[in-house]
Formats: sequence, structure tokens, C-alpha cells
Amino acid sequence: MKRMFPGAQRSLAGHIALVLFCLLALALPKSTAAQQRETLLLGIEPEHNIFDQVERYRVLAEYLSDQLGIRVDLTIMSRYGEVIKRFRDRQLDGAFLSPYTAALGIRQLGLLPVASPVNLNGEAASRGYIFVRADSGIQSAADMRGKNMVFVDPATMEGYLYPRTYLHEQGVKSLDTFFSRYSFAGSHASVIFAVLDGRADIGAAKDTVYDKMVGQDPSMGQELRIIARSPKEPEVTLCLTKELRAELREKISEILLHMETTSRGKRVLKQFEALRFIESNPADFATIEEMAEEAGIPLDARDADG
Amino acid sequence: MLTGTRSRLRPLLALLLFLVAPSQSLAELRVGAIMSGDIPYYREMHESFVRELHALLPAGEKVEIIPQRPFPDPIAWSNAARKLIALEVDLVVAYGEPAARAVEHEKSGVPLLYAGVYDPEHAGLKGKKMTGCGFKVPLSSLLRYFKQLKRVDSLTVVFSGIEDDSVRQKEELRALTATQHIQLKEIDIRVVADLDQLRSLNETDTVFVTGSALSHLWLAQILDILRQNKVPMGTIFPDSEGGGVLITLYQPPREQGKMAASMAARILRGEEPAAIDPAVQRDTELVFNLVQAQQLGITFPLQLIVEATRVIK
Repeated sequence: MKRMFPGAQRSLAGHIALVLFCLLALALPKSTAAQQRETLLLGIEPEHNIFDQVERYRVLAEYLSDQLGIRVDLTIMSRYGEVIKRFRDRQLDGAFLSPYTAALGIRQLGLLPVASPVNLNGEAASRGYIFVRADSGIQSAADMRGKNMVFVDPATMEGYLYPRTYLHEQGVKSLDTFFSRYSFAGSHASVIFAVLDGRADIGAAKDTVYDKMVGQDPSMGQELRIIARSPKEPEVTLCLTKELRAELREKISEILLHMETTSRGKRVLKQFEALRFIESNPADFATIEEMAEEAGIPLDARDADG
Repeated sequence: MLTGTRSRLRPLLALLLFLVAPSQSLAELRVGAIMSGDIPYYREMHESFVRELHALLPAGEKVEIIPQRPFPDPIAWSNAARKLIALEVDLVVAYGEPAARAVEHEKSGVPLLYAGVYDPEHAGLKGKKMTGCGFKVPLSSLLRYFKQLKRVDSLTVVFSGIEDDSVRQKEELRALTATQHIQLKEIDIRVVADLDQLRSLNETDTVFVTGSALSHLWLAQILDILRQNKVPMGTIFPDSEGGGVLITLYQPPREQGKMAASMAARILRGEEPAAIDPAVQRDTELVFNLVQAQQLGITFPLQLIVEATRVIK
């Protein structure tokens, strides 16, 4: 068995994601720009704790809605790569995207990056870690041969593109022949738990999630060893379709980039767990393009749905 | 006339058979196996071992397996080891550290293959005639999952003081809980009456049952007591009957059985045990028992449930 979506785990995670997606689809009014012009529909990619995530984004959507004078709805994807499909189906006006899907969207759909939140540590960027259990005996890529690797999702920079690039640089041409097994856990936190538990030997995940978990439980940091780190890329970027009216795009950008100047904006940012938003542009994603080329999975050839 | 010819041919045939028969074939080999307490964990490992060993042997060649299932007790382990040595087996497979130690103690020169030993790198099982495979499960992960379910100010560890690998797990937990400011209560079970110490626990407690022959021989009794007092429990041997362990993080025994079989096949073909590197298996399965959780009034958050490789519901 080579490429593997692990049976029970994947199946269970998939069912839960599906149920959550259905619930959220019912809870969040569904509309499209075509159906209702004065409604903005924004997508978000799923995180480990989906309820906390929805709450954080709901507050931001309410703020945008009030400031724009139009209704702003949110829709959560069932998984990372699905956001590109949603754009293709013209159901979304924009989405808060992780770096890889943002780069894919920019290249394949001409999405326009608008703004990125700066997290509470003052960082707007994140990077990928490749890590193992400290007692695993794995010191380098050479020691990973024949082991079991867990990625996040094929549509993540930190959890797939970067480790693919790293492995390619280390001479690994095929995951199928190099690893005894590889799988996709669906979230960064799940990858970290899988390696901690021994359910996988090697994991790749986002530094912000890793550092947060280690901050909450320092014993995790003692049990894990980071083997490699990727360059930093914008962690989350609001990307809008070019079909959206230019003045509306500019207004959204202006509201986000000046949030920290008003007392309500500050409150919303706090609830959103960010200090401010900063301007984003396509050049921010140049490294992702290079990584994808290096890994042999160029962005324009990449199946957006993983 | 015919009768006379037959009687004259018999010694010739016997001589012919003696000459053409190989001096030693696998069919003549015998493997002894010691399974402490005959608990499901070792049984499943042994069944996998036997299946794999037969599959690895050339067609037509067989090995006789002589199982011993002593009660987890030093005298019983020693008796089982001596019996197999007296039977002149060609290899002894010992499941769990105490059984391996009993064979080692006899200094018989019979090759010894251990399996199902917790953290063998720290067990110091070494020798010219010895190799084997064991497992390591991060106990910290179990504790971490418990802490996501409930407040853990103290942890009660049920261990068997006569089983070195059980003691090692207890010591590991002692170090772990010390760094996390969790009080560790220790219950050393030697006789079944020792389980009565569990009766004083209540729902604010959390219990870890070490992977050992004795504790898992009495698992049903342990679970009965804990169920009455609504005390959640975790362990590192599979709760194969779904009997009420809330969280189980275990290394699949079948994998160790397979690995032990591949080592055994090499030894039976003439390799020296010391030339075969010992192995530690670290892949794990995580099981959450939601039925038990409901009975205990514990709710698993969704983001925790997705981590499980199996959910009992």
C-alpha cells in the first residue's frame, strides 16, 4: 500500500467534516453574487477547531457587513482544495486562503490578493515544519526511507508543497517508493498529534499551529524534533475575484487595512485574534510558485482539488 | 517366498531412507512459546507469529510450536522455561519481559527471541543467543488526551511489580507526572485482592493500567470496579473486547508477531540471534470508547474524536 488515505481515521474525519459542512451550509445563508448583488460570499478553509474558527470569522464578517452596508456571508469549505472549485463554480466573491491555495487561485483564477491578518505574535506569515518524534532516531531525510509520513492536505503549502519540495531537494523522486506509507490527516493539529502518538513517523505542518500547541503544552516540544523549516509565506490572505466591482474591492481593502484605527475595529481584531491587516499583493506568492516548480507540481498544472 | 523377499528388503530400505534423508530439516525443528497469562494481547501476537512463520517457510517444511501459558508468576515463568529447555526446543519465543528473563536466567544456550516487550532499548535484554522485538507507546500522549477530557490533578497507575516492563511504564509515568505537577498514586497488584485499592477512587480520578500480563489478566475485574465509581481508564494493550477502557493507545500486536516470525525464520535457518538487530515498533492505534464515555458522563470534543483510528460507539 502506498498512497493511502487512512481508513478509519480518514473516514471518520471525512464524515465529521461532511456533517459540519452540511450544518454550516444550513446555518450560513447561501447566496451568490449573481443571485443577490448586495451580498458578499466569502469562503474560509477549515481549521482543526472549526467552531472556534467560525466564531472568529463571524465577528469579522459582521464588521465588514456593517462597514460596507451589504450583507457578508461566510461559507466553510469541507477541505482545503475545495475553495478553488467553489471559485470556479462562481459561488464565491472571495476567500481567506492559506498560501498554497491563494497561489493556486491567483495563477488559475486570477484572484486578487487584498489583505493578510497579522497574528497576535506580530506575524503575518507562517512557515512549514517537518518534524519527527525526538526518540525516533530520524535525523535527516535519509533516515526517513521506509517510514510512514503524514501530510495535512494536498492543497497546503506547509503541510504538503513544502515537504514535497524538501524531499525533492533531498533526492526523493517518488513518495510511493520512498515511504512505506503516506497519508493526509486533514488538519495541522492532527498531523502533530499523529506524530506525537506514533501513528506516523514524520509529519509536516504549519509553524503557527505547532508553536501554539507547544506553547500550551511544552512537553510536546520536548517530544518532537524539527528536521526542516520552509521559508515564510503569508499565512492567510483575503483574495477576491476580479469579477467583483473594483470599488467594492477597494472599499473592503480600505476597511481591513484601517481596522486598528477605530475602537470597534480594535475589538473585532482582538476577537479575530489579530493585531491588524496588512496589504497583500501577488508578488508575495512568488516563492510558492518556485516551490511548486521545484517539486514538479507547477501551479498551472495542479489539480486545484488535490 | 514373497514374505522372505520383503523381510530381506526392509533393512535395505531403512538404510536407503537413512542415507537420503537430510541430516537436519526444518520439519525436525521445534519452537517453544511462552505467553504470560494467555492474555489477548500476547495471544494475538502469537497467532500472527505462527501464521507468518509458516508462510515464511518453504512449502512442505514445518515447525512444531509448543506453547506454554504460565500464570504471571516467577515460579510459573521459570517452570515454563525449564520445560521447553528440557524438551530441547530449537528456539524459545517469549512474550513479555518476565518470560524472556526467565529463559535468559536458565543460561541454557537455547536461542531466545523476545516479543511484546515494552521499551526493549531500556530493558537491557542482550546476549549472544538473544534478539527480539518490542514496542514503545508514548504514555505522554495518553495523558495528553485525558487532560483534554477532564482535569487531571492526580493519576493512579496500576502496575505489576513482578513484571519489569510494567515497572518501567510506571517509572516513566512518575517522571512525566512530576514535570506536569500531577500527583501519582501507585497500585502494585500482586494478588487479586490488591485491586480493592481501586475502590476508594472516584470520578475525579484517572487510572492508567500498565501493559502487563497480570493487570490485563484481571482487566475485567479492574473495569468492573472503576465502572462502579465512574473512574475513566486508559491503557496501552488493546481492549479487544471493548470492555470499557476509555482511551487505548497501542502498538498493533499482529505487527510484532510478524516481525518476530521473520526473525525466527532466520534463526531456524541457522543465523545467530546476536547477528539479528533487535527492533522497536512505534506505530500506534488510538481508540476512543464513546459508549464508556457516555456512561462516565464525559464528552469527547469533535476535534479530539477525529484523531482516533477507531471509535467504539
